[in-house]
Amino acid sequence: MDASNTIAATAQRRPGRLRRGRRVADRILRVGCTGATLVGALVLGSILLMLIIQGVRGFTPTMFTSPTPGPGSEGGGIANAILGSLVLTGIGIVVATPVGVMAGTFLAEYGRGSKLAALIRFLNDILLSAPSILIGLFVYTLMVRPMGTYSGWAGGVALAIIAVPVIVRTTEDMLRLVPGTLREAGAALGAPPSKVIMSVTWRAASAGIVTGIILALARIAGETAPLLFTALNNNSWFSADLMGGVANLPVMIYQFALSPYPNWQGLAWAGALLITATILALSIIARLVIKPQISR
Amino acid sequence: MNAASAIPTVDLSRNRADEAGPVRIAVKGLNFYYGSFHGLKDVDIDFHDRQVTALIGPSGCGKSTLLRCFNRIYSLYPEQRAEGEILLDGRNILDPSIDLNELRSRIGMVFQKPTPFPMSIYDNVAFGLRLYEKLPKAELDVRVEESLRKAALWDEVKDKLRQAGTGLSGGQQQRLCIARTVAQRPEVILFDEPTSALDPISTGRIEELIEQLRDEFTIVIVTHNMQQAARISQFTAFMYLGQLIEFGPTNRMFMNPTERRTQDYITGRFG
Repeated sequence: MDASNTIAATAQRRPGRLRRGRRVADRILRVGCTGATLVGALVLGSILLMLIIQGVRGFTPTMFTSPTPGPGSEGGGIANAILGSLVLTGIGIVVATPVGVMAGTFLAEYGRGSKLAALIRFLNDILLSAPSILIGLFVYTLMVRPMGTYSGWAGGVALAIIAVPVIVRTTEDMLRLVPGTLREAGAALGAPPSKVIMSVTWRAASAGIVTGIILALARIAGETAPLLFTALNNNSWFSADLMGGVANLPVMIYQFALSPYPNWQGLAWAGALLITATILALSIIARLVIKPQISR
Repeated sequence: MNAASAIPTVDLSRNRADEAGPVRIAVKGLNFYYGSFHGLKDVDIDFHDRQVTALIGPSGCGKSTLLRCFNRIYSLYPEQRAEGEILLDGRNILDPSIDLNELRSRIGMVFQKPTPFPMSIYDNVAFGLRLYEKLPKAELDVRVEESLRKAALWDEVKDKLRQAGTGLSGGQQQRLCIARTVAQRPEVILFDEPTSALDPISTGRIEELIEQLRDEFTIVIVTHNMQQAARISQFTAFMYLGQLIEFGPTNRMFMNPTERRTQDYITGRFG
């Protein structure tokens, strides 16, 4: 009697104890997650706040019209670096887009399920996470040393190598989301694979592929390491000659931020703010592009 | 138990197979493999010209597999293969030398889920036409309209031909896919459960449409819905575990099947 009573009592009490245990665990996890989020947001927030305060102070209309100033001279701007960055990322994305989209298409369409595709996908993932300074060194050996000069072309190629794996990955992922029945429907009408890919699957995945390209653009717009070894810098006005060094924002920030001159430091802050704002804008555009596809 | 009592709402008298035309597709000793799985076993069956033949049977019985042999759509997947003979007007379409794209322009297919391409309604219908025929714009317009009319969709879309095909309702999308297939003027149209993703009203429209299309095309339809098979087909084939169990005029198959398993399936005892 006594024993069975105790058992019954434990059985009754048990759920309550369990529930209390769960409540405590829930609270701990919630506090832990919220705390971690706050720490992360605080770090990001303080970086942004610092960047905005310092960047806005360095922001002047002349920075868009004058080239970088010489050591010890007053004022000056970063117009040559802005233009150079536009040209270098432009070369990078123009070279990387066809290579990346085609390779991604191979992985998702022609090479689906093959060993070769699995190998290429693996190598691409390695390239995706390779330190960008390594890519700078690679292009330095490949182009800068043989040509005997830092050059805009080398910078563009280095950026392209960083952008390619990003585009390959997103292109493949987006094409895989296209339902197989759509490919079958194309084939069932007698369309050869090339036709199905170009007019059906690419089109169905276009928003996602474009988003990938924009994200790759955002990624290479802020890359510094690969440009240190390739495009380096140039203090004079931008010239159409890409066979010499080309001024660009990331390397300009790197050099000016380390300099003792207050006007250089101000320009470095302004340049950093400009890049951050550009990347933010690109990310927002990427989200807007992909949105209609999701809501469909 | 009388098989017909299970489906009292269906009037079988109008589906006469007496005037069955010549054989259009003859399947002889067909075997199909998904890798090592034997999906179809020694299937022999004839499909008559300008008749609707329904393939029925429980899930996994091989009816879709058989359908997918006629346009060799299975060859998109390297691990799938067919052995035997499928004669279309006397020519074996399983022969490796057959031009697949030409074959598929002669044998159209409509899928279970509507598959409109991400382009305008007009371009969807013109897609197949542009592949093999270089038509002047005016003639293309005529063919697109003709196809949409045949698919009973023209009146609903004539004012929005430039809008996206993906914006139509499910039933309209399926009729768009039928229009796209019809536009190529194929000889045979394969339907793979064309109404299983549609509401009853859209289903009714598609069934009416299939009945009209029979005037011009040889039709093979896979369906899970036995009433549908009874309503729209002249011939019915019952398949089970990769084998063809029984084949004959739909009337006889539903009123008086010879095989025990056919009767059990039709009366809903399994499947």
